[in-house]
Amino acid sequence: MNTNSKRIVCLNLQALPAYLPIVTQTVASSAGVFGLGKADCLSLELAVEEIFQYLCNSACPGNELKIECLDGIYYTQATFRFSASGMNLRGLNIAPSVTFNYEGECDLSEMGLLLASRSVDHLHVTIEKGNLVSLSVVKEKTYPRISDDLPLPETSGEIRLETPDPERLKQFCLLVGNHYSEQERPSFFDHPGKVVDMVAGGDYQCLVAMNPRKAVVGGILYFSRTEKIVQCYGPYFFQTDQGTDTGAALLDACLSRIARGRALGLLSISGLPHGLEANFEPLGDLNHYRDDVTPIKRSLFYRHLHEDPGGEVWSHAGLLEYLERAYERLVLARDIRIIRDMSETRAGYSLFAADVNRERSEVTLRPLLPGADFSANVERHIRFLSEERFRNLFFELDLGVPWHAELIPVIIARGFKPEIVLPFAGQSDLVVFQYHDAAES
Amino acid sequence: MMQPNLDLLIPAYVREFEPYIPSKPDAELKKLYRCDRLLRLNNNENPLGPPPGAQEVICKFSPPSGAVYPSGDSYYLRREIAAIHGIDPDQVLVGNGANEVITFVIKAFCEQGDNIITADKTFAVYEWVATFSGIEARVIPLVREGFDDRGMLRAIDHRTKILFVCNPNNPTGTYWSRKILTDFLDAVDGRQIVVIDEAYFEFVEAADYPDGIALIRQYPNVVVFRTFSKMYGLAALRIGYLAGNPDVVDMIRRTCVVYSVNAIAQEAARAALQDDTGHIRRTRELVAESKAFLCEELSKMGLPLIAGEGNYLIVRLPGSDTLAYRKLMREGVMIRPMTGFRYPDHIRVSLARLEAMEVFVGALKKILS
Repeated sequence: MNTNSKRIVCLNLQALPAYLPIVTQTVASSAGVFGLGKADCLSLELAVEEIFQYLCNSACPGNELKIECLDGIYYTQATFRFSASGMNLRGLNIAPSVTFNYEGECDLSEMGLLLASRSVDHLHVTIEKGNLVSLSVVKEKTYPRISDDLPLPETSGEIRLETPDPERLKQFCLLVGNHYSEQERPSFFDHPGKVVDMVAGGDYQCLVAMNPRKAVVGGILYFSRTEKIVQCYGPYFFQTDQGTDTGAALLDACLSRIARGRALGLLSISGLPHGLEANFEPLGDLNHYRDDVTPIKRSLFYRHLHEDPGGEVWSHAGLLEYLERAYERLVLARDIRIIRDMSETRAGYSLFAADVNRERSEVTLRPLLPGADFSANVERHIRFLSEERFRNLFFELDLGVPWHAELIPVIIARGFKPEIVLPFAGQSDLVVFQYHDAAES
Repeated sequence: MMQPNLDLLIPAYVREFEPYIPSKPDAELKKLYRCDRLLRLNNNENPLGPPPGAQEVICKFSPPSGAVYPSGDSYYLRREIAAIHGIDPDQVLVGNGANEVITFVIKAFCEQGDNIITADKTFAVYEWVATFSGIEARVIPLVREGFDDRGMLRAIDHRTKILFVCNPNNPTGTYWSRKILTDFLDAVDGRQIVVIDEAYFEFVEAADYPDGIALIRQYPNVVVFRTFSKMYGLAALRIGYLAGNPDVVDMIRRTCVVYSVNAIAQEAARAALQDDTGHIRRTRELVAESKAFLCEELSKMGLPLIAGEGNYLIVRLPGSDTLAYRKLMREGVMIRPMTGFRYPDHIRVSLARLEAMEVFVGALKKILS
């Protein structure tokens, strides 16, 4: 047991079917100790069972495995780590090359990750340093939805900014719920207890503005989305006369806290309050599709924290015009290099990481390994994920990785459109493509 | 060969530290930003260059001498500095820029678990060196753009080893008067080392501005930093020094890397100190003229200013400073965005020749229009 700020339970074993009970019982017991409810524990256990069986039977039978169960306070995460050396990583695609029999039924043993993703909130696959595959599933705790109406705080007097105690943090959440629409706030604000745990777990930080009577009049919540990007929610404020000043003060304080850290940029994906637009750079819009209603437009805003050192990015000729326009608009100094196909031999199977967010009906794909099967693999992912009723499919390509550019014509041909350039979010900038079903676009 | 496991080999406080990435060379920047010329108004350099005597030293340096090690402890330069200030040469340590002497002092006095205290909006290197050395940096918010003496005193605990005071402060140009400084030193009462960073000392003409070196005799816990990069125009040669009580400096010397200061820098710095051509006066006049021009122009544009001592001032913009940086780069003007100094939406501009100031104002008007 690791007794650091986050509690971790570790298992080291081989990927052998006989060990399945050890794995599932350890994960279930840990999740229970970490405070996950019975139903949520069972869901996580099911996902872990699917993954372990899949690793034992298909991906890396008999290989050394490290399994970590982490208490993230508001979630439990089970991570499988194993060496990628010598294994066929193709099977780690969430949409693997499932074989169909003559009756059109697929081989379920090949669908481990997809099945696992059904019972958890998030699933991530990455390749870490040392050629280690890291496969994680996350199950969040279930929190009650609370929407009490709070009176609008008094507006006069000097405001003070501070890190809130849990009670003020809950007040802040309720006020956000009272005064901001669903488009302007993530759903977790409807679950104040969850936000308290998100901050207590250390993943998120919060600053609130208080009036002289110590009533919460605004706030901002932020977290490290990646090593280089901090994402914020807000600033939110609940006054009319001093609102913009409060928002500006909260934003300044947030920037001051992160300015000497690792982040290069601050990102907002939930819009910006009026009066603060000049402090950010608009990146563009993404559509969030829902089952039965019109899509919600999400506007993304960015704030660079440092001097732009400039640099080279890699693209395919098919994206050149888009990138030139985007960089001109964002005033980013980039030397765009175009990759060229010189009929060199391509071999092997590609691997895409899939970040699955069930609540948002969203999957973000990122290329992890190149291969000769890009087109088939992209097509397979679109088909499988659409069949799984994921309404929002994204592809993120890192312009700092030359081979990612090879995917540009492939994904564009399959219905993805470039929507956003996210500066410095990868080895270089990321381009976010969104899938537009021909029927929807 | 197996790759080293850096997660095991590197201390967490180093691993988690974000390295500072200096700007690319001018030729590269001009290519990237597609501009014909680049005015550097970001590093508070002296547009007049070094004093004539120092320039002569640089010109006359004999190439074969490049094969010979310099004086390992800047022997003659320390004597020169000591003579000017009426102290012993052993009270002086010369470093490869003031940044190096910051490292000497933190290494000499601090171990893990200790802390240093400085301001939140000041020269970042005190905080950086402490952080990547595993030492806690306590940063106290400025009050009215100046160091908060009471706040700093309140932050002291039994593990506080050094208090860093940037006087005048970079980037706000505020300074502690002799009275504030001595009251502060009296309150510290020798329990901690007080570093007074006087990188911009020679630019300040105010009568109540204190000379830190003159206080060393009375306050043996005072260590003063000076640099040749600003007034003396020797930034390219990287040379600065510290002065302090003999016993204190004797301890710091243990963490000092000898031979880190090159021969040209040592000789040019000596010549700069011996200047009798009015280099300091000429520079001050240039700075005063540019400051007056810039204050007037920027005020006419309705932009709030923080203009104190030193050869720089801060302008508050109506939007992102980092975006303004990029837009100004396209106009061939390089300034310092201040988000990294915890002044979001502010830029710092070096006070250079009037022509450069005119170009800057023109470019700023263009990007804000």
